[in-house]
Amino acid sequence: MLDRRRFFVGGAAIAVFLGYLVFYFTRATAMYYFELDEFLPRREALAGQALRVKGWVATVSLDDPATNELRFELARQDGSGAVPVAYHGIKPDMFAAGREVVVEGKYEGGTLAARQVMTSCPSKYEAKKEGA
Amino acid sequence: MAEVGRLAICLALLFAAYAVGAAVVGARRRSAAVVRSAEHAAYAAFALVAVATAVLLHALLTHDFSLEYVAAYSSSTLPTRYTVAALWGGQQGSLLFWAFMLTLFTTIVQLQNRERNRVLMPWVTATLMVTAVFFLGLLTFIANPFERLPVPAAEGQDLNPLLQNYWMMIHPPSLYTGYVSASVPFAFAIAALAAGRLGDQWIRTVRRWALFSWAFLTLGNLLGARWAYEVLGWGGYWAWDPVENAAFMPWLVSTAYLHSVMIQEKKDMLRVWNMVLVLLTFTLTIFGTFLTRSGVISSVHSFTQSGLGPYFIGFLAMVIAISLGLVIYRLPELRTHATVESFLSRESAFLFNNLMLVGIAFAVFWGTVFPVLSEWVRGVKITVGPPFFNRVNAPLGVALLFLTGVGPVIAWRRASPRNLWRAFAVPVGAGLVAALALAIARVPFGYAFATFALGCFVLGTVGQEFWRGVRARQAMLRESAPRALTRLVGKNRRRYGGYIIHVGVVAVFVGIAASSAFRIEAQKTLRTGEEMDAGKFRLRYERITTAEDAHVSRLQAIVSVWLDGRQIATLAPEKRFYKKPQQPTTEVAMRSTLGEDLYLVLGSYDPPSGLATILAYVNPLVSWLWIGGIVMAIGTVITMWPSAAERRAPAYELGGARVPAE
Repeated sequence: MLDRRRFFVGGAAIAVFLGYLVFYFTRATAMYYFELDEFLPRREALAGQALRVKGWVATVSLDDPATNELRFELARQDGSGAVPVAYHGIKPDMFAAGREVVVEGKYEGGTLAARQVMTSCPSKYEAKKEGA
Repeated sequence: MAEVGRLAICLALLFAAYAVGAAVVGARRRSAAVVRSAEHAAYAAFALVAVATAVLLHALLTHDFSLEYVAAYSSSTLPTRYTVAALWGGQQGSLLFWAFMLTLFTTIVQLQNRERNRVLMPWVTATLMVTAVFFLGLLTFIANPFERLPVPAAEGQDLNPLLQNYWMMIHPPSLYTGYVSASVPFAFAIAALAAGRLGDQWIRTVRRWALFSWAFLTLGNLLGARWAYEVLGWGGYWAWDPVENAAFMPWLVSTAYLHSVMIQEKKDMLRVWNMVLVLLTFTLTIFGTFLTRSGVISSVHSFTQSGLGPYFIGFLAMVIAISLGLVIYRLPELRTHATVESFLSRESAFLFNNLMLVGIAFAVFWGTVFPVLSEWVRGVKITVGPPFFNRVNAPLGVALLFLTGVGPVIAWRRASPRNLWRAFAVPVGAGLVAALALAIARVPFGYAFATFALGCFVLGTVGQEFWRGVRARQAMLRESAPRALTRLVGKNRRRYGGYIIHVGVVAVFVGIAASSAFRIEAQKTLRTGEEMDAGKFRLRYERITTAEDAHVSRLQAIVSVWLDGRQIATLAPEKRFYKKPQQPTTEVAMRSTLGEDLYLVLGSYDPPSGLATILAYVNPLVSWLWIGGIVMAIGTVITMWPSAAERRAPAYELGGARVPAE
């Protein structure tokens, strides 16, 4: 008869190992996620750190499909609080002025250097209330 | 017409509410007549929801753009098959579809159990109808699919182009089927707790329903992966998006249940644990629905904030409170005295399997809700990305694969050295030979290496089981080998069907491991006639072509694929521009073989210069992921197929309590 305690010890060892895995990799892969309004006041303090910022695409100043350079301003929905974003890579299909996007990258020298620009489906489950 | 649908939903809500009340009263007063009345009300609710669903489908097919829903999710140029898919493509429609499935399953369960489980049935009906009341309440008061527009629209805004895809036709329905059918085992678990019938009766009754739900969750997840692979155009099939996680978590817990329930059937152990797994599976399906609808956690799939969140939270809280309360109330009766005797036993292997599955589910849950948790605790949202999930789950997955091989063949109670030798000599040998071959082929050590070697070990155990079973029948009954094989499987469907599922699981693991570890990516901007390399392939960008119809215009890059100086294929990755919601989409071009997929994306195109940016991915062995899915489906069908004795029983008894134990 296996002592119940021994079994609990075995199970607990696995649980501890699992907890450690979760804890360790949470720390290793964690990344700040800010709304633009949370980001603006502390952007200088966050310079150089990998982070994600959610905002709206205001003006697109460069969109060159030949070089895949993309420059735009990330702003509040009304266009205020703009932060310039520079991205080199394939532009997501749903990227357009006025859309909500999440920019992943680093803030350096007054610009968000994007590693990735993510768009969310604008109308998958809920239509815009104003109608077409 | 739409008013008929609206009325049907409101009436269905009333009937469902009545069914809850009558079922509870009938159960407490032990009045068969009142319970019957509750069941009849549930049938009526089903009929009414079916009417409402038919009305919405009719409105979609006849392009009735005076309805907000129809105008928002379809258009007159949308192909018919996608117009049907629009039924579950939007918020309100998907809730209605959910209610439809739920009342349908309630009806089937009640018909199956007309003459049996009479003590449990009122509680089953009550539980299912409480869930129905929740969804019908949302449809009545919050998310009315039959809302009229103040001014009828001239044209619809169309279904999101990303959903206009073959896989999207079948992925959501199968996932919903898996989700919703999980409420049947849940209802029986609650009924067993409420009625104090805590034996194996309810477990046997829901065996097929649990398998059914699991099978559709499996299918739904794999179809979703397939959809992401073909449509999203980033070269992968799984991004650990909250919505994907929402579908994955109940699958994990449901898988754990299907294994641990065998321990209860054989050894009468783990009653509390099994109960908790069933309750948790259902809770996770509701949690998943909440995740995708509340906007609490941002996701690329996100349904915009819809105001449904608080209701789901409330319902979830109720489900958890009632489940926990009942389990604690019945805890003294649920306890059993049997214990695991040895670490080297089947009981123990299954327990560890459960720990791994639930552990993975916990890690996925943690990663999914971490942004919310961190915001509560620290006031800052912190996300963990796909690397978190991959790194935590890779070791757990490998351990799980190992247990997949151990569990089915290790002895019950306590494995003797003799048993271990008999059971594992050949499979371990197979694994070692595979490891040696991999090392000679210079496959780098790592998770992929371990997965391949352990995969061979698992195939070794399964192959050995089939081999021994067939040989035994041949020796005893003098049957021919093919006949012995079919008889063997036919007489022990659950066991050998399970083995076949394990073969599928190995294929899925191999596909995932290889395509994660050895994927090659290349990106280059090319002029007409220029070439690029992608792994062993050489790609030449030949030209661009365009095409256009009323619904969509297309831009195709013609790319020839060369291998060892010979042209082996021409692929045409494409950009599409849908006209209704003016939006470009990416159409991937693929050359798929058993060895690898060459996956091409037209990243961008610059008309003035003629420059096109091509993204190429080489995903080794990814086909085995889908093949594994098909094998798992075949295994599941074998497992669920009624035996000869069951087929002689009247049809409505199938899946019911009188099914003899195999």
